[in-house]
This record gives sequence, structure tokens and C-alpha cells, in this order.
Amino acid sequence: MPVGGRKQAPDAVEHERATVTSTVSGKEWELPGMWNRMFEQRVIWDYTTDGFEKIASLAGGESLEWCYGCAKCVPVCPVDLVGEYGPRKIHRKVQTGLDLFTSDDLWLCTTCANCLRVCPKEVDMIQIMPAVREVAVGEGRIPAELQEVFEKTFRYGNALGENPRRRHGWTRDAGVPVRVLPSEPGPVDVLFYVEDYWSYHPRGQDAARAFARILASLGVDYGILGAEEKTIGDSQRLAGERGLFEALMEDVVATLVHYEFKRIVTPDPHGFNALVKEYPKRGHTYEVLHYTQLLAPLVDRIEWRKELDLTVTFHDPCYLGRHNGEYDAPRRLLEAIPGVRLVEMGRCRENGYCCGGGGGGMWLDGFTANHTSERLSERRVREAVESGADVLAVCCPYEVSRFEDGAKSTGNDGLKVRDIVELIDEAMGGAERA
Amino acid sequence: MSSERIVVIGGGPAGLEAAHCVAELGVPVSLVERSPALGGTPISENYAALTPNFESAEVAMGRMIDRVVEEPGVDVRLESEVTDMDGEAGSFRLTVATGGAETVVEAGAVIVATGFQHFDPGRETQMYGYYEYPDVIALQDLEAMLKVHDVVRPSNGKPPERICFVQCVGSRDRRIGNEYCSKVCCGVASKEAIEVRQQLPDCKVFIFYIDMRMYGYWENEIYWPAQEQYHVQYVKGIITEVLQKGDKLLVRGEDTTMGRPMEVPMDMVVLSVGMEPSQGTRTVAKTLGIEQNKYGFIAASAPPLDTVSTSRPGIFACGAALGPADLEDTVSSAAAAAAKAVRLVRRRRVAVAAS
Repeated sequence: MPVGGRKQAPDAVEHERATVTSTVSGKEWELPGMWNRMFEQRVIWDYTTDGFEKIASLAGGESLEWCYGCAKCVPVCPVDLVGEYGPRKIHRKVQTGLDLFTSDDLWLCTTCANCLRVCPKEVDMIQIMPAVREVAVGEGRIPAELQEVFEKTFRYGNALGENPRRRHGWTRDAGVPVRVLPSEPGPVDVLFYVEDYWSYHPRGQDAARAFARILASLGVDYGILGAEEKTIGDSQRLAGERGLFEALMEDVVATLVHYEFKRIVTPDPHGFNALVKEYPKRGHTYEVLHYTQLLAPLVDRIEWRKELDLTVTFHDPCYLGRHNGEYDAPRRLLEAIPGVRLVEMGRCRENGYCCGGGGGGMWLDGFTANHTSERLSERRVREAVESGADVLAVCCPYEVSRFEDGAKSTGNDGLKVRDIVELIDEAMGGAERA
Repeated sequence: MSSERIVVIGGGPAGLEAAHCVAELGVPVSLVERSPALGGTPISENYAALTPNFESAEVAMGRMIDRVVEEPGVDVRLESEVTDMDGEAGSFRLTVATGGAETVVEAGAVIVATGFQHFDPGRETQMYGYYEYPDVIALQDLEAMLKVHDVVRPSNGKPPERICFVQCVGSRDRRIGNEYCSKVCCGVASKEAIEVRQQLPDCKVFIFYIDMRMYGYWENEIYWPAQEQYHVQYVKGIITEVLQKGDKLLVRGEDTTMGRPMEVPMDMVVLSVGMEPSQGTRTVAKTLGIEQNKYGFIAASAPPLDTVSTSRPGIFACGAALGPADLEDTVSSAAAAAAKAVRLVRRRRVAVAAS
């Protein structure tokens, strides 16, 4: 034995069976013992590390293997709180043979980035998940409901599958004129990039109209692209459709080149994220603001007409807060509204809880429901109610519908969900004033 | 009669460093080593490379040995043991037995550098089967294989496809009586894991641990590279037992992350054995009449700020004779012991001259 220590095989006596004879009955009894257990048939739970190699070969996938199991991600992962999914568990499952490419776990991450915030080893799920999803999408293994949204986005340029020509249908009832640049060309200060849910979702349209009235009142020089607008598609990218995202980017950039504007303002933190982080990687650089960032510096110029008398709590959108570091602009607006008392939920700002809509989650509610005890939005609604608020204020177009559904399904109909612009508009006098 | 000579007992890393320091400070030194060769455990146990910098143990220890034997002020006595001592600080008389012959060496101070021995896995209370299964080996057994670039399964002589380390064998265990952490095994296992991956790139390497204890820079020098560059798989949760299954070894434990029992087949299992006081440490402590702690290591008399003084004035200890120590700790405490010993004999010389 080529070992250099002092190991020497002992003289071992091995029994086929170990028995002892009873001194009372004279009967032979089998001895239960370690030697005996050794020959029991057991299920071997084998594992392989090939999964890490496969994931690490993808751009952005290498950090999964860096996990050293500290478990800091577990209490901050929004999905882990309502299900079995968790970043550390993904590492461990892959270590024990899970094929993430075909696993349901692949679609549960909302890319909220709270695990990355606390991870000492910088295991980056925001890169890992989209990279693996991209492969799964390429191989056609994708939840049907998400596939449907990809197809709608591809066909119509919006995730809702709505008619592109009706993109600015909401402007009709705004009460103020909204300049639609393709029909009223000319330079503007602000290009208002409305994005899908403010364009088409009824509650989003409410917010879009409120925002138009605020801009009009503040004398902001702005316009929209109307039928020429297509979604930025950042959530589609994070859900694995990078190709679709890249194609949309080409279209968007080709459209923008026809118009003269100083800055882009959008209500959608997801589109905002892509314009700020992804577009520059392809050489497309614009000055981009989230709508709260446009309004916050102008807040002293707002003429208030009404005191609201509301206790309001605020939900930080993951892609405005954690992903892009903006926590103050929305709060500055809320605190300026007469009669609004802002109370914070336990999890807020950097540690804000995810609504479940990011990274494709918006379009995976049916799929996710099979793996979680409740929706993330429902859990968040409970937290809002616990805070004592009358109103849950939001500033991401995904959230009004998600939280209003959550308020109903959890029996908290008393909690109102309002976009920040709706509250501002109301305190400015609303549609009547316009 | 007072003597300026300092006797160093033990010719491993600690003793070599202490003897070298004393000699460089201009004080005569006798280095007493029981075995026929200098270099201590890294040499006698066939270590391949040192932790954390992967330098060849033979090269590194050879350099230490050369420094000492080339120093004219050092009287090296191999195959020798201190069998008796009397006197007091400044004027000890040590009986040194070499072969059948006994000589008396007068010394002002003594430095004990008698080191550790690897925990014997035959004493562990789990069922790892070190003496039962040929493919269950210990850290130092793997060191010897790595040294000659011949990592193979002892049972069949073939390179392993899957190998795992089991941490904390013989350490942190009340039933064994070693409640302490042996401090170096996490680093050494990770270092060996890297070497296995270098020598056998197709071999999967796992480390099962309670908690990885990579002190200071070992975290970034060994642990993270092992995981991130060499793809060593670290698995939280220690192995309870090793069983034979066909020509494989089944390691059984808990998948602590997912909370369920786990069995994994391995070709080889390496037990990360801890440190215990060497026989030399136990014997010399008695011969010199210095206090030992409950584990048999030599007790430092005034920790934490004096790590090398013992219960008997004029006698200092260093390295792993004091307890689990890595090489960095070992040479540091050896230099500290040398400084304190030299200070003691010099002070006496000044005092004698003044009187």
C-alpha cells in the first residue's frame, strides 16, 4: 500500500453473521450492530458536479459554484419565504445533481437582487438565472404562459398582446392634450416612454393620465411615441429571451433616432434599468429618468388644492431601488403631498420585499402558484396592512394590478393601492381641475 | 555554575527556527533530536507541499536544516534524548543520552520544541473504518501519495474518480477527549484537494465539514481558490459513517441544506485528522517537570500575552508542543521562545559581571 503514513491493516475477524446464544433459553439470537447494518440495501443518492460546469460555461454563470453555504440569502429571498426555492438551495441542488436547465426552480427567481445584496461571495443570480433561462428558451423548455407573453411581445411589441395602434388610446380621457410625436413632430425636452402597463392596463392608464395632468400643470415640454413605441422588454430579457430583447433594442433605437429630445422619462423601472444598464453596452446612451426622478426636484412648484388625510406606506420597486439605488425620489414626492403620513414597512428600501413581478414573474403567476404557499404580492399586502396604512403607494406599473389582486385575495379590500402620481394628481385637484 | 548555553529539544520546524535564532543572537546552542534526521513531522510524515504556499516540504525544510547545520554555534545531537534534568534557570544540567552514552550538558535555558503527532483514526468514535477499509486514508497518507505524484486507490492501484475529505476527525470531540479545534486541517485538506485536482483533473473532490475554519489569509489563499478555480465541492455537514458498497465506499451523512439523509459513493475517503501532543512532548514535559494542559500539550504559563513561558522558569516551549499550530504560528512562537531564552541568559551574564 503506497501510503506514507503509518497505516497498517489490522488483523480483522469478520463474521458472516453475529449471533449470541441465550443462557436462559439456549436459543440463538442475531446481534443487531454496525456490521449488520453495513449489508443493508440502501438507496444511494449519488451526485455529480457536472451541473456547475455546464452553468459556468455560460457568460455570467460562473459564480453559482462560489457559494459557500453561509445561508445569508435565505431570509431575504422573497421566494424562499413562501416556498422551497432559495439561492443557497439552488447551489446545493446542482451540487447534488439537479439539472437546473430543466428544473421548475429555474423559473421561480424574480431577479429581485436581494440575495446578491447580502452575498459575501457575490454569487450573482441576476446573471445566472437569465443565462440558464436563455438556454432553456432556446431548447423550447419554457412555461407555456411565459411563452405566450414572448410571442405577444414579438408580434405586437407589447407584453399584453394589445393593438400597437391603440398605444396612446389612454390620452383621450386625460383631460389635457398629450403630444404624440409622430403626428406632432419637433423637438421636446422630455420623451415620455409610457411602456406597456401604463399604455394598456386600465389601472396603468389611470396613472398615465394622472401623470399627463401633472406634467401639463408643471409646464413640462414632453411628447410620447404613440403607435411607434415598443416595449423595452427588459423583463423578457431576464426571463431568458435575450434575442427578443436585442431585436426590440434595435427597433427602439431606430425609432428614437427620428426624434429630438433631451431625456427619456419612463414610469417602468424595468425599462429604466435596461436603458441605464443594457443600452450603453451596445453603445446607445441616453439621459434616462424614472418619473419619480423627474418630479422630485419639481415638487416645490406643485400647486396643491386638496389635503388627502391618508396614512401611506411605500413599496420600493426592486428595479428602481436595489438595482438602481433610487430610494429617495419616491419618498420625497409622498412626503410633499398635503395630508399624507408616510409609514414604512419593516422591509423597505435596500431590503424591500419583491412583488413577484420581476424577471418574468409577472407572467408566471399560474406556474409559480404550484410552488409557493402564497403569492409574493399577497405577502407584501399583509405587510402593508400591518404597517397601519390606508394606502399602499407604488411607482412601478406592474404593481398596482398585482397588489390590488393581492388585497382582494387576502381579504384586505380596505387597503387601497395607488401609484404615487395618482395621489399627487388627486391632491392637485385631479381631472376636475384639468 | 551558570551557563550561557541554550538547549533546544526537537529538530522540527519549531526547533530549527529556535536554534537558528539563538545562534544568530550569538549564544551557543545544543539541538537535541531523537530521530536520525532533522526536519520533524513534515519530513518524517512525507508531506508533499507546505500550507498555504505549496512550496515543497523537502525544499523548505532543507533550507531550515541547512541554516542550522551550517551555523558554527549550533551543536546538533541526533538520535539523542534528554533523560534527566536538574538545576534552575541559568544553571540547568541536562543528561543527554546518545545511543548508549550519556553526557551532561549545562544550559542557562531550555526550549522545548517537541511538536505534535497526527490523531490516530483508530480512536475515533464514528465509524470511518480507517483500519478496516484500504481506501480510507488520512491526510498524511495522501501527502505521501501527492509527494510522488501517485494518488491511487490502495485497494486496486487505480486513480480515484471521486475522493472526499472528512473534516474534524479526532478534533472538537468530547468523547474522544479532544475538545479543541486542530486549526490546520481545514487548510491542509483544502491544499491537498487542490493538489489532487492538479494531479488528477478528472477526479471529483468533495470536502465534508462542520464549519470551514480558514484562519486569516488562508480563506483567500486556499479556500476560495480551491472552490472557485479548482472546483472542489464543499459540503456542509459532517460524515457520520463510511460503509463498503461493492468496490465503493459509501459516505453517509446529512444533506444539511435540504434537510435529509444522504449517501454518496466515493473511491477514497481522506480523514482530516487533527493534532495531538507527540510522545516526545509528553515525555519531555515529565522529564523537565513542566505543566501540561488536560490534553497533554505543554501549558503556557501566562497566556494570552506570553505564549512561550512554561510553569518552570528558564524553560520555554514553542510550536505544536503548545497545542495545534500551523507553520506560521510555529516559527513565530519559536522566535519568541528564542528571544526570551536569550534575554534570560544575557541578563544573568550582566548580573554576574556586575556583582
